[in-house]
Amino acid sequence: MTPIEIGILIGIVTVLVLAAGVPIAFGLGVVALGFLFYFQGADTFGILGEKFFGGIATFELVALPMFILMGAAVASSPAGRDVYLALDRWMNRVPGGIVISNIGACSIFAALSGSSPATCAAIGKMGIPEMRKRGVPDDLATGSIAAGGTLGILIPPSITMIVYGVATETSIGRLFLAGVFPGLMLTGLFIAWTWFVAWRRGVAFTDMKARFSLRERLEVLPKVLPLLLIVVGILYVLYGGVATPSEAAGVGAMFCLVLVAVIYRIWQPARIWTIFRDTTRESVMIMMIIAASELFGYMMSVLYVTQSVAEWIAVLEVNRWVLMFFINIFLLVAGCFLPPVAIILMTAPILIPIITNAGFDPYWFAVILTVNMEIGLITPPVGLNLYVINGIAPEIRLPVILRGAVPFILLMVLGIVILSIFPGIATWLPDYLMGPTG
Amino acid sequence: MDSFVRLVRATSMLCGILAVAALLAAVVVVCQMVVMRYFLGASTVWQTEFVTFAIVAATFIGAPYVLLHKGHVNVDLVPFYIPHRARLVLALFASGVSLVFCLVLAWYSWVYFHEAWTGGWTTETVWALPLWIPLLPLPIGMALLALQYVADILCLATGRDAPFGMRAEEAE
Amino acid sequence: ANVTLKASHQFPGGKGDVRDEMVQIMAREVDKANVGLKIQVYPGQSLYKAKEQWGALVKGQLDITAFPLDYASGRHPQFSATLMPGLVKNHEHARRLNNSEFMKDIKKIIEDAGAMVLADAWLAGGFASKKNCIVNPEDIKGQVTRAAGPAFEQMLAGAGASISSMASSEIYTGMQTGVLDATNTSSGSFVSFRLYEQVQCLTAPGEYALWFMYEPILISKQTWSKLNKKQQDALMAAARKSEEYFAGEAKKLDDKMVDVFKKAGVKVVTMNEQQYQAWLKIAKDTSYKHFSEKVPGGKELIEKALAVK
Ligand code: NA
Ligand code: NA
Repeated sequence: MTPIEIGILIGIVTVLVLAAGVPIAFGLGVVALGFLFYFQGADTFGILGEKFFGGIATFELVALPMFILMGAAVASSPAGRDVYLALDRWMNRVPGGIVISNIGACSIFAALSGSSPATCAAIGKMGIPEMRKRGVPDDLATGSIAAGGTLGILIPPSITMIVYGVATETSIGRLFLAGVFPGLMLTGLFIAWTWFVAWRRGVAFTDMKARFSLRERLEVLPKVLPLLLIVVGILYVLYGGVATPSEAAGVGAMFCLVLVAVIYRIWQPARIWTIFRDTTRESVMIMMIIAASELFGYMMSVLYVTQSVAEWIAVLEVNRWVLMFFINIFLLVAGCFLPPVAIILMTAPILIPIITNAGFDPYWFAVILTVNMEIGLITPPVGLNLYVINGIAPEIRLPVILRGAVPFILLMVLGIVILSIFPGIATWLPDYLMGPTG
Repeated sequence: MDSFVRLVRATSMLCGILAVAALLAAVVVVCQMVVMRYFLGASTVWQTEFVTFAIVAATFIGAPYVLLHKGHVNVDLVPFYIPHRARLVLALFASGVSLVFCLVLAWYSWVYFHEAWTGGWTTETVWALPLWIPLLPLPIGMALLALQYVADILCLATGRDAPFGMRAEEAE
Repeated sequence: ANVTLKASHQFPGGKGDVRDEMVQIMAREVDKANVGLKIQVYPGQSLYKAKEQWGALVKGQLDITAFPLDYASGRHPQFSATLMPGLVKNHEHARRLNNSEFMKDIKKIIEDAGAMVLADAWLAGGFASKKNCIVNPEDIKGQVTRAAGPAFEQMLAGAGASISSMASSEIYTGMQTGVLDATNTSSGSFVSFRLYEQVQCLTAPGEYALWFMYEPILISKQTWSKLNKKQQDALMAAARKSEEYFAGEAKKLDDKMVDVFKKAGVKVVTMNEQQYQAWLKIAKDTSYKHFSEKVPGGKELIEKALAVK
């Protein structure tokens, strides 16, 4: 069998094993073991322990549980509600004001959380009922939160960016910076769309009679301030020379724990335990996938599949944008079924040489990849954000949630197109702050 | 058999507590390191390794606990659309396959741990931590994970647990 | 029989890295020899991570590697002597060292562990700082420094530096953000990590350098014993070619670094004998002392290495 044929076989077996409902970590692991055993013999297993351990024993990955903890601490408090209610006092006379406030709150929370489902849950829990109370149609209410939640992995910190950085040996700090303006751009697109819908349908979804004085508007700001302070603090720690991403994440997590204890009085052991328990569950799940992907990647490399596929695509000599188009299609399809972390780890070794050879910037590509992953989070059949929303608002049927997500998916595709035409949106900030890459 | 399942679940629960403790320790030490390095200008020798290994330990020891709460994410699309009996078969297959992986990994990571132990291997830093210490959570965690899978398979086979957490009537 | 050997290393592939080129030369040479032997090169940690290579090699899972030997010092603490400050002064000295009693002992340990050396290679490196030129031990006092390997950390701490351990890929960001003041690493890394954009002064290896690292090409003994005589001979001949190539390139790496740094406006200095001796004195009180006390046979290794003039 040629490596390409083996690769196709690996693809088919992996799809079958994962479709059977095997947890992704163990599914990837067992496929790796099976192929290693069949083609290389059981002798290869002698290095399993070192590979599996080595897959996650790097200081860079420490940032992952730390940023999850940071988000979990803030999510356990009513900070999310405070943010969009504060925004609402400023936006309540704008068409779609409450929806726009929720999208804004999502993007602020995204700057504290590295995960999309967490962002979705933190804002949506109270945001969706509030929006429906004000007459926002179900599909717009859920769609805006599903899409707003995806900003969690684009606006730094971001779990997928950390994993991308570790997998491709790119700078995590630079990756974070690359996501800032694209994240703000998507926020802007979401808000513009919401405003347009509200304006066209001639509804404001808001209590137009309520008028807030400047004083009322100013007095809510202190509720948003602590969160903004943490965001600024993290950015300072990261880029002001205080610490590496992992250290910044650890300090940020501690900071958030203290903050919610002081401001929101969340210090009871039972509630702290809940924060840590939820963090542990999510980090363990992701870290196990990372460790298993290490075995999977090793198997692909030992059988020369990774290299052969990359060489095969290189000799095709297609136009680089045609190549990028098909990579996007591939990522979108993969994103429908698999969580972002698994996709990045499985495809990065093959994709990165291809895209750098084609002259694309790996940091720009990280952003494109992330937007693709974001879309995957709100498309069926496996869309984590959709399930989170289904959990928050069980009375809204899944087809309605899906319908609500469609315009936002199109907006994200538009975002990819804009980023392709103006790559500087992603690369300018890291270049400006950290100097251009070699 | 009930007592076996209860014992396994209690062990996995204990694993969860240990994993949380490791995470907590990592957070505290990261902050200590930042203070030492940037505010006191002191050398930091052991912290980077400690934090890395604490997170690794939390991962491996926490794995059985996460399984106990069905937290290892999977794609349950096919199971959702097939009849209940087929779903049960699939659930047994999925758990069986995972069990095989855990057992193989537990064994070979034990071998690795044992090599490090008998060889007196250390980490390549000034701290020179004996390598068996950070390696130990791997075989232990994987063995307990396998045990939790055995308990899960028992519960599936005897109808205590619904396959993929889906009851029969949901299929219709 | 046709045999395909897997060769792994951590350096960028096909971009002119000397160590990659050494392996590629071997691959081309054995291919030309037409003895049914092929070497498949996996560059840039695409098969094993840098530190995993040793374990895979001695287990027979990996056939060939270009490997910084110090990476396996956790398993064989004696290997730390191959990244020991001041033990090697310059490239000529390194070549004399290759056939010394010191290296015989090191190679014996390599063979007992299950591998053998195909080609020797010592790479030089230096110091760089954002603050001042580092030539005397006093120059580094109080600077937050990232060093390659514990022996250097011990010596630098002895000179009053504050040690910060981080991945080499983080050095640039560390310097840029001010987390790091100084670093010491290989000439190749200084260029590839573009540290000339960050530092004020570079201490390049001249007649007297502190930083040398042994990065030989190794083969698994299990693999070796499976090859027939013809294949073994072809491999050895290829290794000689690769070693010759390296001898011509080793110093060019340093020259290239100096060029690049000068062009970027960085001040470039070297150490004189007196400054070297001052460092050596600190090394003897710190890293050598620690090595002699903690490592079995460590004292003899240091003595044998220092005996090579
Ligand atoms: Na985020
Ligand atoms: Na999806």
